[in-house]
Amino acid sequence: MSFKYPVVMPKMSMTMETGELINFHVAVGDHVKSGDVLFEVMTDKIDMEVEAPADGVIEALVANPGDVVEIGKPVLIMLTETEVMAFDFGTDGEPVAAVEVVTAPAPVVAAAPVVVAPIILNETVKAVPKARVEAANRGIDLRTVRATGPDRTITMEDVNGAQLDPAIAKRQAANKALIAKGIEITRSIAQASFTRSVNANFDHATFIAAWAKVLRNRPDLAAHEHVGVALIIESKYGSALPVFRDPDQVKIADLTALVASTTDAAKNGKVPVAMLSGATTTVFDLTTYSMSSATPLLFPNQVTSVTIGYESATTKIVSLTIDLNFCDFYDGALLLDALVASL
Amino acid sequence: MLTMAEAVREAMSIAFDERPEVFLLGEDVGIYGGAFGVSGDMYHRYGAERVLDTPIAELGIVGAAVGAALSGMRPIVEIQFSDFTAQAMDQIANQAAKIHFMLGGALHVPMVLRTPQGSGTGAAAQHSQNLEPWFASVPGLKVVVPSNPADAKGLLLSAIDDPNPVIFLEHKLLYKIPGRDPVPEGATRIPLGVSKVVREGKDLTIVATGIMVNKSWEVAEKLAAEGISITLIDPRTISPLDMGPVFESVEKTGRLMVVQEGPAQAGFINEVIAQMAGSSSFGSLIAPIKRLAGMNIPIPYAPQLEKAAVPQIDDIEAAAREIVKNWR
Amino acid sequence: MGHPLSSPEHARHALLYMWRIRKFEEAVEDLFGRGMMHGTMHLSIGQEASPTGMCMAMTLQDQITSTHRGHGHCIAKGADLTRMIAELLGKKIGYCGGRGGSMHIADVETGNLGANGVVGGGIPIAAGAALASKMMKRGTVAVSFFGDGAMNEGAFHEAANMAAIWKLPMILFCENNKYGMSSSTEKAFAIDNLADRGKGYGIPGVNVDGNDVVAVYEVAQAAVDRAKAGDGPTLIIAETYRWKGHSRSDKNLYRTKEEIEEWRTKDPIPKFIARVVEEGILTQEQCDVIQNEAIEAIKAAVNEAVKAESAEPSGLLDAVFKAVSA
Repeated sequence: MSFKYPVVMPKMSMTMETGELINFHVAVGDHVKSGDVLFEVMTDKIDMEVEAPADGVIEALVANPGDVVEIGKPVLIMLTETEVMAFDFGTDGEPVAAVEVVTAPAPVVAAAPVVVAPIILNETVKAVPKARVEAANRGIDLRTVRATGPDRTITMEDVNGAQLDPAIAKRQAANKALIAKGIEITRSIAQASFTRSVNANFDHATFIAAWAKVLRNRPDLAAHEHVGVALIIESKYGSALPVFRDPDQVKIADLTALVASTTDAAKNGKVPVAMLSGATTTVFDLTTYSMSSATPLLFPNQVTSVTIGYESATTKIVSLTIDLNFCDFYDGALLLDALVASL
Repeated sequence: MLTMAEAVREAMSIAFDERPEVFLLGEDVGIYGGAFGVSGDMYHRYGAERVLDTPIAELGIVGAAVGAALSGMRPIVEIQFSDFTAQAMDQIANQAAKIHFMLGGALHVPMVLRTPQGSGTGAAAQHSQNLEPWFASVPGLKVVVPSNPADAKGLLLSAIDDPNPVIFLEHKLLYKIPGRDPVPEGATRIPLGVSKVVREGKDLTIVATGIMVNKSWEVAEKLAAEGISITLIDPRTISPLDMGPVFESVEKTGRLMVVQEGPAQAGFINEVIAQMAGSSSFGSLIAPIKRLAGMNIPIPYAPQLEKAAVPQIDDIEAAAREIVKNWR
Repeated sequence: MGHPLSSPEHARHALLYMWRIRKFEEAVEDLFGRGMMHGTMHLSIGQEASPTGMCMAMTLQDQITSTHRGHGHCIAKGADLTRMIAELLGKKIGYCGGRGGSMHIADVETGNLGANGVVGGGIPIAAGAALASKMMKRGTVAVSFFGDGAMNEGAFHEAANMAAIWKLPMILFCENNKYGMSSSTEKAFAIDNLADRGKGYGIPGVNVDGNDVVAVYEVAQAAVDRAKAGDGPTLIIAETYRWKGHSRSDKNLYRTKEEIEEWRTKDPIPKFIARVVEEGILTQEQCDVIQNEAIEAIKAAVNEAVKAESAEPSGLLDAVFKAVSA
């Protein structure tokens, strides 16, 4: 969902009834971030810069520089994905919606095209020769093409179907907003789980780094730009969920030390506040309970979760659960494959 | 319509009439009329001076043919089973194939060695081989594999004309049957080193040799009725090999299947794949190259085992369907 | 040609050609030792009388096939010395354009169908040439030169039998060199007299002293006459003596007095010289002149060949097949 939010002439002092618009700092179509200066206003007492209340795009400029505008009246309109806390009390004192909800699908704004991180489906590519030629000619990255041929080989049909780039971009943007709003979606979550045995030894640091690296290729499966791996740590104080941000981009030695110190802290009931938010996925290690599997849990605002189960001294069971609203069944299998391959 | 044996006999007779230096030698080719009846009544028509019955001495027979060829004759040697060319390999590969090159062009060997090959008669391991790669791998030999009587006649006439040693591999199962096309009258030659596009299609290119051409044709007919159209190419001369039509066709169909009777390992048909894989037409492929060939075993005796050892029509059909269905 | 003792010209021919072979082989030994020749050389020093005597019973149209040790046969049949050396040096003007080497030299104009690198390889080919001669009624003979080792090859057996049953105008000429190898023929044959093998094919088997050019000629001419009369092939076993050229670099070579004496009695050239001088056909001075003539001929051939252009790789692909005329 998107919202059309009118940025109004603010009341800056008790007696202020109007303000003069001096100039705009933005133009129609500009992307702005929360806190950016939108325009300057002047009263008999003060000059003030009015800031954007949220990230968004300038939709329209309603007033002109030099205009005297009553307080509470719109100066410009911006489109934003964020629901801005804005109230307007009408003359009868009842709150009315200050913000117009735009229910149409979020339009792509006119100016610069949306640049999205590519969704990489295959790290290694197998493709028939003509598909490679075709992809090269059309500038298609074969790693982003879904392979439906035998032995996961990209066929001509697959490449020809890869004309969906704009649609993928659209969906990716839509996904992010929806995942963020996950807490409000009350319909039951359609999910799927995949399991693989792994004959490998790995510690938490290695595991979360490997999983983060896989998720790095799937920015569409998270509400954030970063990859945040929450690791459940049990203690006598209950379950702690410290979040390790971008663990695949940290030196493994440093990450190992961080995991160790955080684990210790968690066991003592102390986890740094900064590490308590920003999770895009969660890892449950069941081996401490000698369990091989558990009921899959997907946290709100997350699309994936992983459990590490115990099978034998030499074999672990890695299980991935995905939210089918945001991740295809087939993709889930690919994700688990990629994770297991890298362990 | 003439059978393959009759077509070969007709070609030899035409050559005999055209040139006095052409003669035939081999075991049982004279009075007996040939183990497979190919020379037939030639002994009676041309006499013992031109149709020579030899002792069982393949090395000596082929060597004598080489010597006669060096001295102005044009011998046709018939070796009774291609398996027995092993006895004569020195004269075939070390002498005939190399004389023109080794001697700097001073001498040449205008000799044709005809021999029946292939399985399906229950003759078992030592009488059923397909030895195309043995000859095709030797520089200095030309190797011809006719798939039907009409081609056999025209190709043999060209082989006899050729001033170089030509190995002419006839298939036993084809001797007694006519082909799809009638054998033309007269002495028209079919040039060596030219592949034939037997039928054109747009979904799949099949390259096959010898008896596999005919099996592949049956498959193409059947699948055409279902809307799968197949291009079938018969190289006819496997060395030197004409790949032009194959490249052209694969650029249209994008799918290549090769079919041969002989064992897959190091078989002749791998040459087609190797050339395709290194060619500029490689980028036209939308499917992996499919190879159907004999099992890597000597040919077994019992009929059901013998059949299982080489590709049959069902195998070709299943492979064709699969490649067209799974690779789009 | 004719009998070596029948006239001074014939004697001269015999001596000249034996000297040409001898000096040629010595020159090749020298050049090879200097690293100027690629591959390997099989020399026939000491065996000059056999090919010389046999070829004096033949015409230019008669044909021969030869062995890996074939320089002597080639020269005796009349080959061009320069083109021979040039071939050994890998030159364009060599008999095979540098593509064949020592073991594959052929000379169509003198009826030489080629030396052969495969033991026994040339025997069935000679039978085929004889077959062609008979079918075409040319009246020529084909001679196959081979060593005692080839007699145990299947090719010898098959060719000899076919030549016998079809009465081909062919001569099977075996050069049986025994020096230092008498034990090998004892081990390779269960018979003592190789000529007895002729009986197995129903053809005459004739023994001759291969180091006596006169004796060789007489036996050869008889075989040629028999072949041209349509009576079929003859097996000639010529006992020769291969003398490995004395290596100048090998200072440790110890030659016994016995060895030197034995060599003197077997060397075919002084043997023939002694005979022609004794019978007054040629003088010693004339013989010396002939020797010098041979030496000069070899020197000239070597000088010319060494200066010639080397063979090039371009054109190799086109050399495999003879072009098909339209």
